[in-house]
Amino acid sequence: MSRFLLTRALGAALTIVGASIAGFVFMRLLPGDPARLIAGEHASDEAVELQRQALGLHEPIWRQYLMYVSDFVTGDWGFSYSRGEPVFDQFVNALPATLELAFVAVGTALTASVLGAVLATWSRGGVVDGLVRASSYVGLGTAPFWLGLLALIVFFERLSVLPGPEGRLSPGVAAPLRVTGFHLVDALLAGQWSTWWDAVQHVLLPGLTLGFVLYAWLVRMIRASMLEFVREPYALVARSKGRGRWAVVTRDVLPNALLPAITASGLIVAELLTSTVLAETVFNWPGVGRLVTDAILQQDFAVVQAFIMLSAFVTVTATVVTDVLYSVADPRVRVRAT
Amino acid sequence: MALRRTWQRWGPGAGIAAVGLGLIVVAAVALPLLWPWNATATDFAATMRGPSWTHPMGTDGVGRDVLARFAAGARISLLIGLVAVTIGSLAGMVVGVTAGLLRGWVDEVLMRIMDVLMAFPALLLAMAVTVGLGTGLRSATVGVTLSVVPWVARVARAETLRITALPLIEASRAIGLPRLDLVRKHVLPHLLPLLIIQATSAYGSVVLAVAALGFLGLGAQVPTPEWGAMITEGMEPALAGAWWVALFPGLGMLTLVVCTNVLSDRIRDLMDPRGALAGRRSRG
Repeated sequence: MSRFLLTRALGAALTIVGASIAGFVFMRLLPGDPARLIAGEHASDEAVELQRQALGLHEPIWRQYLMYVSDFVTGDWGFSYSRGEPVFDQFVNALPATLELAFVAVGTALTASVLGAVLATWSRGGVVDGLVRASSYVGLGTAPFWLGLLALIVFFERLSVLPGPEGRLSPGVAAPLRVTGFHLVDALLAGQWSTWWDAVQHVLLPGLTLGFVLYAWLVRMIRASMLEFVREPYALVARSKGRGRWAVVTRDVLPNALLPAITASGLIVAELLTSTVLAETVFNWPGVGRLVTDAILQQDFAVVQAFIMLSAFVTVTATVVTDVLYSVADPRVRVRAT
Repeated sequence: MALRRTWQRWGPGAGIAAVGLGLIVVAAVALPLLWPWNATATDFAATMRGPSWTHPMGTDGVGRDVLARFAAGARISLLIGLVAVTIGSLAGMVVGVTAGLLRGWVDEVLMRIMDVLMAFPALLLAMAVTVGLGTGLRSATVGVTLSVVPWVARVARAETLRITALPLIEASRAIGLPRLDLVRKHVLPHLLPLLIIQATSAYGSVVLAVAALGFLGLGAQVPTPEWGAMITEGMEPALAGAWWVALFPGLGMLTLVVCTNVLSDRIRDLMDPRGALAGRRSRG
């Protein structure tokens, strides 16, 4: 076990180092002089030179890389000149909004995909199965930003039952006292029911949009896994002993089929990181994704860079944690890998 | 008779998907030639008109015909998808086969690089490339192409290892077939179905990634009739009641990607009934 853990952790560390080199190279490819960008267009040459010294641009390239890495590890992610704030602080401030959205999305997606996969397996080859498969294809084929816009057109512009793209709360509604940073929790803790209801209404469309995209991935995977277990002899035995179709699917097949689906969580994290950028942009959700797209428009690439690095780090970590968890649940994997 | 047998083999779902894909291709190829309106010509006398007989998809904020832009966008999406998937799979194939044949440190180095590329979620890798090379359709294409490479390389390497372990390879080496001939005569033909499966299944996500980059302002720039950029332009009008500017490009994308995904799953089932080549097994 410890050998398995060690090889996985070493591999992941190597990948993260490689990713940081790639990220550094992409940043250095940037057209334009970063010192000039920060100092401003009309700054004197001396001022730009001073800025260059401050940024360490006169150092050899490998020293610059080491500085970049040590800064990143210690939380110095550079300075965002468009907002005049350190990049790290911006991420910390935006994170709760993104996490709140992600929780809603993952929660809905998990519930819906397990339910969908169970129904599909129960009616395999039937109408319900067809509908579940069709919904999965639609989810995989839709751009999240277009889906979000479509939801806005229907529920905000046409039916006007839900709020438009105005962020987490209606204008004029004060944010609840910050305890966890999640409005849905903080409003309850403060006992502000109207604020809570407002937050629920605002999180509904972006949360479901993101959730649908994740659902499409998940339901496809769980269904495929369930269809394999349904063919196993033990399922036939359970059926022949008189257990009903539904009970076999939910009680005998589902628990086994969910295990291989755990491996999908690395993929889910990657998909979530990508889609959150797109969905937050459409709904003006003040999270990390919105931060990144704003920075793109402002040509403020320090923020974009930090996000890309962070996403590689999160994805690799998620994949390794998944592998290890899976090997705990199913020791056969461990034996095969080492 | 032959037609009927093909129909039975492919099933009705794949038939519908083929028709949908065909419609998009026809729109992309024929419409710009036949349709009287130009994709970039503005007409300030007819801005924000809803769908009508003269403009079946309406007009946008500066009076450009949305149908003409839709067709031009289909051209861009189909073409970039094709270029990115072809070049990406070929490059991935070269990397994978080289790693699988040479083994040793070459294998180690190449696959580590592929791991690094896979560490970034596909769209974010493409974002990093466009940020580095400058925004525009060209760097967007380079970015999505790069994101296809590691997935193909990994599968191609595994398959090369499998093939080179077969007795037939040992036999050919024993009768003195040069290494390059070995690759050409035995390894590549075995890899071809795999290449097709990987390329077709990557197509949809590549199309979506290019559109996402256009939407974020990193891909196609504003006057270009690219579907993602068109949706960005249509966002504000859509919330004021003019739904048609953003709706149709998204519908086109949905049709294109769903149809290629359905077809790709079907191709996988037909070419690889055991699911031996599939990294991610699916019965669609």
